[in-house]
Amino acid sequence: MNPLNLMRLVAPECILVIFALTALFMDVATLREQSAKVRQWVVGSLSGVACLTVMIWIACIRPEGSYSMVELPAVSFLLKEVLLGLTLVTALISFDAKFTRHIGEYYALLLLAAVGLMLLISSNNLLMIFVAVELVSLSLYAMTALDKTSPASAEAALKYFLFGSVAAAFMLFGISLLYGVTGQLQLDAIAGKLQTQHLEPIHYVALVMTLTGFAFKIAAAPFHLWAPDVYQAAPTPIASFIASASKVGSFFVLARIVLAGFGSARGGAGWGHLAAGWVPVLAILATVSMVIGNLVAIVQTRVKRLLAYSAIAHGGYALMALLADEQRAVSSLLFYVITYAITVLGAFGVVAMVEHSGGRDRFSDFAGLSRRAPLLSFCMLVFLLSLAGIPPLSGFFGKFYVFTAAISGPDHLQAFWLLIVGGATSVVSIYYYLQVLKQIYVAPAPANVGSLNISMPAQIGIVALAIAVIVLGFAPGLLLGRLNDGLTLVASNL
Amino acid sequence: MEQSQIDQYIPVALLGLVAVLFAGGVLAASVIFGKLGKRGGIKETAYECGMLPIGEGNTRMSVKFYLVAMLFILFDIEVVFLYPWAVIYKDMLKHDANLIFGSMLSFLGILFVGYIYALKKDAFNWKQ
Repeated sequence: MNPLNLMRLVAPECILVIFALTALFMDVATLREQSAKVRQWVVGSLSGVACLTVMIWIACIRPEGSYSMVELPAVSFLLKEVLLGLTLVTALISFDAKFTRHIGEYYALLLLAAVGLMLLISSNNLLMIFVAVELVSLSLYAMTALDKTSPASAEAALKYFLFGSVAAAFMLFGISLLYGVTGQLQLDAIAGKLQTQHLEPIHYVALVMTLTGFAFKIAAAPFHLWAPDVYQAAPTPIASFIASASKVGSFFVLARIVLAGFGSARGGAGWGHLAAGWVPVLAILATVSMVIGNLVAIVQTRVKRLLAYSAIAHGGYALMALLADEQRAVSSLLFYVITYAITVLGAFGVVAMVEHSGGRDRFSDFAGLSRRAPLLSFCMLVFLLSLAGIPPLSGFFGKFYVFTAAISGPDHLQAFWLLIVGGATSVVSIYYYLQVLKQIYVAPAPANVGSLNISMPAQIGIVALAIAVIVLGFAPGLLLGRLNDGLTLVASNL
Repeated sequence: MEQSQIDQYIPVALLGLVAVLFAGGVLAASVIFGKLGKRGGIKETAYECGMLPIGEGNTRMSVKFYLVAMLFILFDIEVVFLYPWAVIYKDMLKHDANLIFGSMLSFLGILFVGYIYALKKDAFNWKQ
């Protein structure tokens, strides 16, 4: 029991916390008299440096192992690098944003949310996971409300907060019931106990309640009601963070809980062979999410709201991966979620740039964007086609791995009904993505607008994301290989 | 086991039933008897310990009250955590001195940062 060992494992999080507090203080103490632009650039750069420092730290030290409540599987390096990368691009997108005067607070909350996500990945103890979820959630609630001039932003934040706290209560109640029946909080210990116990109604209540809490976090229907409002009304860089980084963390921890903790209460989701457990719950959540998300997205006329419904649908696709057996489930889920996060962050980045030039997120604001900003429009084309799952972009391979994973699991071809739903709804989804692209490439630009006023750091970030989407489409092995390498080291205790 | 588990919940279910019946009964009774009675004028006013009600029912409070309440909770919780820490401090000192001291030090350090932040933001300045 050497506390230094613990410090070694959580050093990245500690460094990031120190940076977050520095950002907060720099703004309050030294930059008060400066103009908003200077403060934005200084504090924003500090946050960027923070993410880069921690990324390099993790790449060099590669902390691994476990201590008390912290357990780092090998795949956690990669996930943390991805999370920090997403946070970095979010910071880049918000460099020239004007939604708030509270610049230090904004970047500090962003970094603290990143810390929460990293802790979420690091822990295998339900209590610690809950604390990490709360750290992320509270930062996100506050960031959603940061635009004090917008009543919609405050309304969305309140809605997010109320839904979120009810979901947290469900999760906590589920965890307490699990603790009641197993006497354990460590996931591996819970798994051990569950294996020896006869499953009773109370086990299923505990399981469903815990899953409800996480279904809210990943905005799976029918727990999705907060998502459209929050995505729409939150300042765009924050919406992009909620849609990308927080999804990666939440999906990983959901996978870890169900696969490592509830392994023996799996059940089955085969057509005509439903058996009680978490698999049928997730299969139904996935189906409802895919159907509701894709169908409701068709009628949207605001791009951010459309992306919110598409996020719900993509949450459904990602859940399908969990039907596979452990290793395949985690690798295909992570590949899907990571590529999705990269893509959606880029799409929100383009929306942020349109808003930056005085537009909003209506379809008409995107009319003729290809003439106003050719490079960004091309990036948007890449992002939206990848979201729709058009080969050879990475979104296609994500969907492909998830679909094949779903029928490779213990349910085999009996889970094929999920694939049919998934395939049919993804055909539907092409329609609404193309609606946006039609505005960008076909519709004429309004007469009175000039070329887009683009913030340079944001453009760098968006182009980098578009390149990542294309590269991962042509060479998915780059990421998938690393995911599999990471997993083989921990397949026993992930 | 399953049977006994459900048995334990019978009193809870009964309590729930009584609660629903009582709440529903009182509401129904007030509707029924309210319709029967005479109304109007002084009977419609709010009852404030015999005083005549003045002004709006919901007055606006200064946001500073909430700020003070939040800060109070923050530093109150700090003390709540200090008590159990102080109780086990001597025992833990023998096992793992660094851990017991370092964890509280870092906790207080983070709260101290919060205190300085509140101070710098003029959160304690009532007049501002």
